Amino acid sequence: MNNYKNFEVTDWVDDPGFRKWVYKGEQDSFWISILENTPSQAENIEQAKDILLMVRGEFDNIPEQELALRKSKLLDYISQEGQVRSWWRGRWFQVAAVLLLTLGFGGYYRKQFFPVPYNAVLSRSGSTAIIEIINNTEQVKLVTLPDGSSVILKKDARISYPDKFYADKREVVMLGEAFFEVQKNPDKPFYIYSGEMLTKVTGTSFSIKANATDKQVQLVVKTGVVEISRNKAGEETKTNHLTLNPNQLVTLNRESNEFKTQNVNEPVLINLPIESQYFTFKKSSLKDVFSTLELVYGVHINFDKIVTVKCNITARLGDEPILEKLEMICEVLNARFEMKNNTVSIYSDGCEK
Amino acid sequence: MKQTEYLHDTYLSERWTQFCAGDKTAFSDLVDHNFNSLYHYGTRFSPDKDLIKDCIQDLFLEIWEKREKLDHIISIKPYLFQSLRNNLISRLKKQSRFSGLSANEEQFSNDSTAELKWIKDETDALNSSRLVNGIELLPKRQREALYLKYYEDLSHEEIASIMGLQRQAVANYLHYGILKLREYWKCKTILLTMIIDLMI
Repeated sequence: MNNYKNFEVTDWVDDPGFRKWVYKGEQDSFWISILENTPSQAENIEQAKDILLMVRGEFDNIPEQELALRKSKLLDYISQEGQVRSWWRGRWFQVAAVLLLTLGFGGYYRKQFFPVPYNAVLSRSGSTAIIEIINNTEQVKLVTLPDGSSVILKKDARISYPDKFYADKREVVMLGEAFFEVQKNPDKPFYIYSGEMLTKVTGTSFSIKANATDKQVQLVVKTGVVEISRNKAGEETKTNHLTLNPNQLVTLNRESNEFKTQNVNEPVLINLPIESQYFTFKKSSLKDVFSTLELVYGVHINFDKIVTVKCNITARLGDEPILEKLEMICEVLNARFEMKNNTVSIYSDGCEK
Repeated sequence: MKQTEYLHDTYLSERWTQFCAGDKTAFSDLVDHNFNSLYHYGTRFSPDKDLIKDCIQDLFLEIWEKREKLDHIISIKPYLFQSLRNNLISRLKKQSRFSGLSANEEQFSNDSTAELKWIKDETDALNSSRLVNGIELLPKRQREALYLKYYEDLSHEEIASIMGLQRQAVANYLHYGILKLREYWKCKTILLTMIIDLMI
């Protein structure tokens, strides 16, 4: 620390740690203590700081959403380019290609819409891995995301997400038909890439229908507010921006690239029980509540039916993800729960009255 | 701190190698890590934000196309910065040649055709809105060298290669740049403290 007492302005400017503090606020408490303990350096420090800020100039970052779009544009382009290359390589392949085309090979249509790999838009950093879940079963499949949000996948639907979300945003990529209940967190917007559509929410519930072979992408809002825009090369986000409220259905036509909004009586798009289930219970037995959850989320709930026979629930569980709902129920029951591989175990001592 | 920085660097150069081998996720990573810093550097050359962003996008496509030939590159950031610098300057030159004027980028803001005048007006407005920022008084290249050294933490050698200068020239730019900024600071201390008070 003595070292700093004899510092000149240039010494401060040349100190990489000091610069990191000025530019990025790193190790704030350390530098503030230096400031406090060496009052003789106050002017030098101030001068050095000003000089560094002049050198940097105005700080102007590209908005996150624009950056995401520019990136997906780039990735779009390079995956198309890869395709073109392999098609042209070798004469026999050209012949095969012509044959396939004459036989009505329909894969091209699909590929145009969904660049391969379809989840390449996800940001990655050193500590994260991308998880992909595909529902190959006939039943619905519940996926709980790292932030606690629930996603219900229908048959053949898929979702990709990082095992840990970024500090400032949550991003997922999906295809097929799915229902989302997004954990409320206004500081960390939640983005869903589904084909040409980019959806941004902070905490809501809604259904998406984005099948690879359909000519449209659709979304209907059950609760909350949803912002959507086009996830498409060559277009600006701000001009193609829509805000949707509950019971509004939007259709994005992939060919004309146009949005159409309409009001619907019920937010039903993909025929899942959850779309018309508002989880309002009045003196309902635990058995009824749990069988509703089992049906809607496709989970299995283990609980002691004899011990809890006297328990009943009066609550509006609304659009919270399943973990939140279970927490609310357990709060009332004075119980606790565990969830592993979509099997829930409830530990309760019963409700005496 | 040093350890994590080191790990970060190793990670990036690993990703670079994977990118050169055609790994698209590594490419996506590369875009993530560099787009904003390239953009910020680009704003040193032109106030036209879209032009800069487009140049960066082209740069990424360009390196993707020649990825196989890039695995010998060790200093990734200086390489990207240098490429962007070349592309931007030649793009700006073309623009001014197109309007039938001198191809010298230094005279660029003295042009008076409609578009360039507009750009100039905007720059002037920017300058006066910042009131007096001492950095504007320095020659462009001095400013650039200071930026690369202090904000981007690059070495004299790296700056020399980006800007196409001798190492000694970089050292001189930096030395006189800081000297001038200090002089400026001393003259304007009172005014500056007033501005800073206003900003806070």
